Amino acid sequence: MSHQEKPVKISKQLRLKAQEFLSSRKNTENLLDIVRHFESGADLSSCLLTLELIFTNLLKDRSMYIEVVPLKPVEKTEINQYKEWLRNVYEGCFARISECLESDSHKIQIQGLSTAMNILSHEGKCPLEAKGSLESYVPLNRLKLVLMKLLSNKHNNSQLINKYTEYLLYNDILFFTWKLLPSLTAKTNPNELYIVNYLLLLEKLQLKQHPEPQFLCGSNNGEFFTFDEAATTRALNKIWHCVMLWEHTPQTHKQLLIVLLERVLPHLEKPLLLTDFLMDSLDIGGPVSLLALQGIFTMIQVHNLNYPNIFAKLYSMFEPEIFHTKYKARLFYLSDLFLSSTHLPENLVAAFAKRLARLALIAPSEDVVIICMFIGNLILRHPGLKCLLNHPTGGSASTDPYIMEERDPLKSNAINSSLWEIQTLQQHVLPNVATAARFINSPLPSVEWDLSRVLDDTGDDIFDKELKKHSKLIALAFDKPNGGALSKNEKVLQYWNI
Amino acid sequence: MKKPRKPLAVPAKKTLNPFEVHINKQKMTVLGRKTKNDRGLPGVSRAKALKKRKDTLLQEYKLQHKSNRFTDKRIGERNLNMTDEDKVVARYTAIRKKAHKKSIFNLADDEVLTHKGQTLAEIEKFDDPRSDDEDSLEEGKSGNLDANFVEDAHFGGGILRNTGKEGAKTHRELIDELIAESKKRKAEKQKVKEATLELTEKLDTEWKDLLPLVSKTQKKEEEKMTVDDYDKVMRELKFEARGTVSDRLKTEDEIAREENQKLEELEQERQERMKGFEETEKKNTHRSADDLDDDLVYESDPEYMLSYNTEGEANLEIDAQINGKNVGESHDDDEEEPENEEEAEGAGAEEDDTASEEDDDLSDLKDDTSEESDVEETQETQPQTIEPDGDSLKKQEMMEKARQELPYTFNLPDSYESLQSLLENQTPSHQGVIIERMIKCNHPSLAEKNKQGLKVLFAYLLQHLNDCAEDSMEKCYTTFSVLAPHLFDLTQLDKENAYHSIKEVIKEKHEEFRKSKKKYPGLEILIFLKLVSLLFPTSDFRHQVVTPCFVFIEQMLYKCRIKSRKDIAYGLFLVTLVLEYTTLSKRYLPAAINYLGGILHMAVPKIGVKLIKVNPPFQPTTNSLVLFNDCTSEDSSLKMRLSDLAEEKIDDLFKIRALNTTLKLIEEFDNNFSALPSNLEIFKDILAYMELLPTRNYPQKVCTQFERTSQQLKSRRSDKNLDYVVMPAKRPKALRLYEPKIEEVFDGKRRKVQSKEKAERDKLLHKLKKETKGALREIRRDKSFLGRVKIQRRMQSDNERREKVKRIYSEAAMQQSELNSLERKNKRKK
Repeated sequence: MSHQEKPVKISKQLRLKAQEFLSSRKNTENLLDIVRHFESGADLSSCLLTLELIFTNLLKDRSMYIEVVPLKPVEKTEINQYKEWLRNVYEGCFARISECLESDSHKIQIQGLSTAMNILSHEGKCPLEAKGSLESYVPLNRLKLVLMKLLSNKHNNSQLINKYTEYLLYNDILFFTWKLLPSLTAKTNPNELYIVNYLLLLEKLQLKQHPEPQFLCGSNNGEFFTFDEAATTRALNKIWHCVMLWEHTPQTHKQLLIVLLERVLPHLEKPLLLTDFLMDSLDIGGPVSLLALQGIFTMIQVHNLNYPNIFAKLYSMFEPEIFHTKYKARLFYLSDLFLSSTHLPENLVAAFAKRLARLALIAPSEDVVIICMFIGNLILRHPGLKCLLNHPTGGSASTDPYIMEERDPLKSNAINSSLWEIQTLQQHVLPNVATAARFINSPLPSVEWDLSRVLDDTGDDIFDKELKKHSKLIALAFDKPNGGALSKNEKVLQYWNI
Repeated sequence: MKKPRKPLAVPAKKTLNPFEVHINKQKMTVLGRKTKNDRGLPGVSRAKALKKRKDTLLQEYKLQHKSNRFTDKRIGERNLNMTDEDKVVARYTAIRKKAHKKSIFNLADDEVLTHKGQTLAEIEKFDDPRSDDEDSLEEGKSGNLDANFVEDAHFGGGILRNTGKEGAKTHRELIDELIAESKKRKAEKQKVKEATLELTEKLDTEWKDLLPLVSKTQKKEEEKMTVDDYDKVMRELKFEARGTVSDRLKTEDEIAREENQKLEELEQERQERMKGFEETEKKNTHRSADDLDDDLVYESDPEYMLSYNTEGEANLEIDAQINGKNVGESHDDDEEEPENEEEAEGAGAEEDDTASEEDDDLSDLKDDTSEESDVEETQETQPQTIEPDGDSLKKQEMMEKARQELPYTFNLPDSYESLQSLLENQTPSHQGVIIERMIKCNHPSLAEKNKQGLKVLFAYLLQHLNDCAEDSMEKCYTTFSVLAPHLFDLTQLDKENAYHSIKEVIKEKHEEFRKSKKKYPGLEILIFLKLVSLLFPTSDFRHQVVTPCFVFIEQMLYKCRIKSRKDIAYGLFLVTLVLEYTTLSKRYLPAAINYLGGILHMAVPKIGVKLIKVNPPFQPTTNSLVLFNDCTSEDSSLKMRLSDLAEEKIDDLFKIRALNTTLKLIEEFDNNFSALPSNLEIFKDILAYMELLPTRNYPQKVCTQFERTSQQLKSRRSDKNLDYVVMPAKRPKALRLYEPKIEEVFDGKRRKVQSKEKAERDKLLHKLKKETKGALREIRRDKSFLGRVKIQRRMQSDNERREKVKRIYSEAAMQQSELNSLERKNKRKK
């Protein structure tokens, strides 16, 4: 009982002390008590709350505001001295609060962030010093402190950064974060955690201002503040130059590509400089090369990049492992885009069709359906490929002329082959796959199959669909089992000693 | 008589002015056709339309820019659905409701309606046997005053008369008399009524006492009356039991034949289901140009070529003779019994022949599938095949024993716990007997509710199997093999239920599997999947239970990580199940082949730097199945064991077992897929692994198996002949045949030959066009009407203005004239 009551009691005590301090200036001892308690490191979250209460109130009352008259030394009145002291305490406390962001407990971290931002917001509204014509401003030194802690190289701050995105909804914070970032970006090679945090933050930052402006520091009219989008773009470019120079581990490389594709690429000034980077990424293999492929595709599409060997690269990506990655759907989507041109050599497209068909022989059923439709689409786009379905002379061959091992699609001799694989797949156990493979038996339709409809299907979907299929006729076996064995064609007992 | 009426009718019908009638000219007149619109009355219809517009459009126009509006709030006034009567009723109820508004001060709120002191509800029960009719009849006589009195007393008639005759009675006396009289009558009536009531009751009781006596005596009398020999004999003859026609008992041969026929039919159906979509194509049978669409099917008697035998008889004649003979024989059957028997025997022999032929057919099928297994059995598994025989004998003995020990009747369990308590502590064979008896005692043909009970029993048994699997796999499998035939019987009894229960089980297990896809789920799933193969035809193209099972198996084979011995065993069990499922249909599941390849890959030692590629879920670097120690002398059973499904550690014996099983499975799959065009590609990886696999350490048996399998795979490569894929040639489109179209009843109109939907659509389109035209015309007319109204108003206001101006001018002129005259006068004065 007592153990539970203790924290409640302490937080109550702290609150009581804070209230006393705020009510009369004489209780300065209380403030010092609280600060001491805070520094001792116990009951951090309640201390944070209490300090937040004290300083927001102090800022609101302008108790720390010292009138500065130009060309005049500050009068050494008692009040001014008191204010000076208060400010010192405030500075010290804010530094301590920002240190809480490095705490081991996520709860304290998040509490610290919200306290810091809250105080920051109040300081913005009621500045410590006269700021000339500005009604309010963003205390940049404090924001910088917070950002520094966010981009720490000791902890993985993903939760904290997620919390920080709530503040990024405010236009002013967003803008000044952009402003501050270049100065916080490491020039030399930072460690991995820092990169992870940095990329996380970068992924959350958006370049454009929010259409409905909200401001953390200051009222919501936004007269004093203009969001300069050119400046943010400039900052982004500056940052990106540094980021590209860092050394990346495979994980951060992947994340970097994701950030690049989703956030950065459209805003870069000279995106063609990225070509080498993307080329190198393309050779790494796996999801990274897939992401690089997407980047290259955008470059080709938007920035007129000419990359001759891209199809060979794409061709080499179709490996059996691909079906077991998360990026499978993206690969299919991308290759569908790449091969959408009708001006590609038939030889090349036939190689793709054949390779896909081969892969379909070992692919999970949901992918077989996609592949069947994909091949169908390829043949629809390139009527010359019809020879894969309908050999011009007929007859028979002793082996398949297609060479699977050949890395160059143009030399794989696919155009002289036939799609026997699809014929084989008509004998697939799953009825939906077998029906999908049946497209080669009837004249092709005039409209392409819609890939996006099946691209995200999983085995679970097929399972559910098959379970839902209801027909009144329920077929039953008619041979009475002989014990636990089938009366004929029993296989389990043949292989298992039971 | 008729003439006077006519002039009455005529004035109602207006005589038409012939100049007002417009006759629509017809291009062609057809005799006997009645047309609706041959004549019209343009004047009348125009006036009608005008009136309608005045009532509607004009009113709207007048109110166009007005914000105030007069609304009619009378109840039902604007509701077109209500008749006048309804409106009246609704209004009346509204008034009543208003008047009857509930008041808190009104205590007697729910008033009870009564009739003669009784509530209506009581009366409605019709308790009283004495009907109201009597009362009402009597009332006419006694309750009211009689006619004479009324005539005397009422309506002043009495006064007039009385003054003349007696004069003694005053009016008051008369009234008194009246009251007394009526009271007296009422009292009398009441008395009589009570008396009758009493009497009736008395009569009723007495009659009840007498009733038995009366009936007895009556019967006796009747019997005495009817005892008569002639009648007796006649009745006897009349009611003599007549033999009813029934099917004759079937001989055993016949039963066997029927059974066989049924099986054959079922097999045929299964084949059709297996083919799935292919079957639909074949239905397209030839149709001759002379086909009359009357679904006439000729008896498909075999076509004989007309030929002559050595004696010069045409074979058709012989056939006819045979047929005639047959007919004759069947006639004979009725007459001569001994011959009949002989015949039956003959027929039986024939049937035997056919039956054995059919058997042959099925065994052909079997042969196709299990050619290689035959070979194996001859080679090595001879001793093993004997084993299960001994086993089954032992089992039978156990069953016999169990039969004797257990009670003969069991009730269906009402909860799973009760079944559990019944089966607990019983050996599997005992459990089998219990379930067998339970099903027998509660067969649905015995009682209606049994069907429900058996449904529940099926679900409970599945649950029981599930629980058994948690204990130990061996025990579960023996329980399963005992219960399987009963589950099969239950399924045959109620397939709906079986389907739903199994479906639910599979669904539930799949839900569990979804939560952690990387791990092989519980062993009970294997049992259930095996059960599915027993209960349902796994060769169907699409089956509501089997197809989801396939998806499930595929997912497990692709997704689950293979780490330990039990994982490998689990996967191999699944692959075996896939083989069992697909032996008949010879369908292809990539996951199974991939898995076998992966197992082989695990047995290949990876020494060099070069990575040997393998497809997920296998890791390219695992060495766990590589046999490092020399086990050539090892000589144990090469079948997989159930215990493999539970253990973690991989030992050498298991490695040998797993490899041998894999090789055998590969061989069987290869046989199944021999007809597939790309069977080479399917087994390409496997062949590559096999080339890398050293067989030094394996026992002799495994080595021969290895040799055989690799030989078979390689031979496929050499004698491969691939036909290029060619689309079926397009059939030339047949010319349309113009056959005479015969209509049974020609009604003078020609209809287009088109589908029902098209006809409907055309009709609707035509209607739409017509309606659009009509609507446009109406709008045009509305517009012109409004224009007319506007111009009228305008003219009216112009007229008014002109009048006004005129008046003003005239007034001004008058004024001027007066002024002028005044001026003139003044001038004159000057």
